[in-house]
Amino acid sequence: MKLSAIGIQRLLQVSSALVVLGLLVEIVSLLWFHPLSFVLFAFVAASLIGLGILVFLASLVFAVSPLDERRGG
Amino acid sequence: MIGILICQIALSIILAAIFLIRPSLTSAAGWKIVAFIGLCVLPALCIVGGMNTHLQRSEQTKFCISCHAMENYGKSLYLNDPKYIPAQHFQNHRVPPDMACYACHTDYTIYGPFKDKLKGMTRIYMQYISTPPNPITIPGGFKNAQCLHCHAGARGFEENPVHSATMSMLTSNQLSCVSSGCHDSVHDASQVDHLKMWSPGQ
Repeated sequence: MKLSAIGIQRLLQVSSALVVLGLLVEIVSLLWFHPLSFVLFAFVAASLIGLGILVFLASLVFAVSPLDERRGG
Repeated sequence: MIGILICQIALSIILAAIFLIRPSLTSAAGWKIVAFIGLCVLPALCIVGGMNTHLQRSEQTKFCISCHAMENYGKSLYLNDPKYIPAQHFQNHRVPPDMACYACHTDYTIYGPFKDKLKGMTRIYMQYISTPPNPITIPGGFKNAQCLHCHAGARGFEENPVHSATMSMLTSNQLSCVSSGCHDSVHDASQVDHLKMWSPGQ
């Protein structure tokens, strides 16, 4: 399966946005001393970062490089 | 330690932000490696570091008593009466004061800390979504292994005639250390406001 319509750059932006958002939430969870801070980290921050990593890895596997697109995919 | 983790997270944010603004940089081979580090390796390390920090933090006494339902249990550590076992252990540093709850309530098995965290999640659920039980009880009861982890083999414990006579019952959990007539004065959280308190340095 090739995601030629989306392209590697779009996936990279999505991945970066998820990672940045997740890391910002992680900073909040680390500075907030409260029982819910662990929940915030485990269910929000780690999920966003993990999803960002998965999108990045998916971009490596599925996205079509510009060279392939010129060859006709 | 948390400072190093925050620096690592800040570096990851900077790298990820670069690819958020300029994703076209990855067309160069060198930037592909930077993208792999910034969007895969460092964020994964941040998750590991964050999990480690949160797990260590959850072992602290002040973390345990930060829940409203646990406030009186925290106060009971300052009861001015040596017959209260948790207070005696806490005030005399028989357990590390900053990890007092964890020292006596953790499950000393290979997967014990992991099981404790899962139990902790159910308590967070009870605190914020359901209702905490009143009185709060330990599922499955207080296990003697948590006392014996430190006391087993100690001279004062082994030479006590009551302990030596009941040792097999204690190790098999047939007789609880905190059963009536033995060390039955524990937290007494409901009465804590009416009892005399000890204040450090008095």
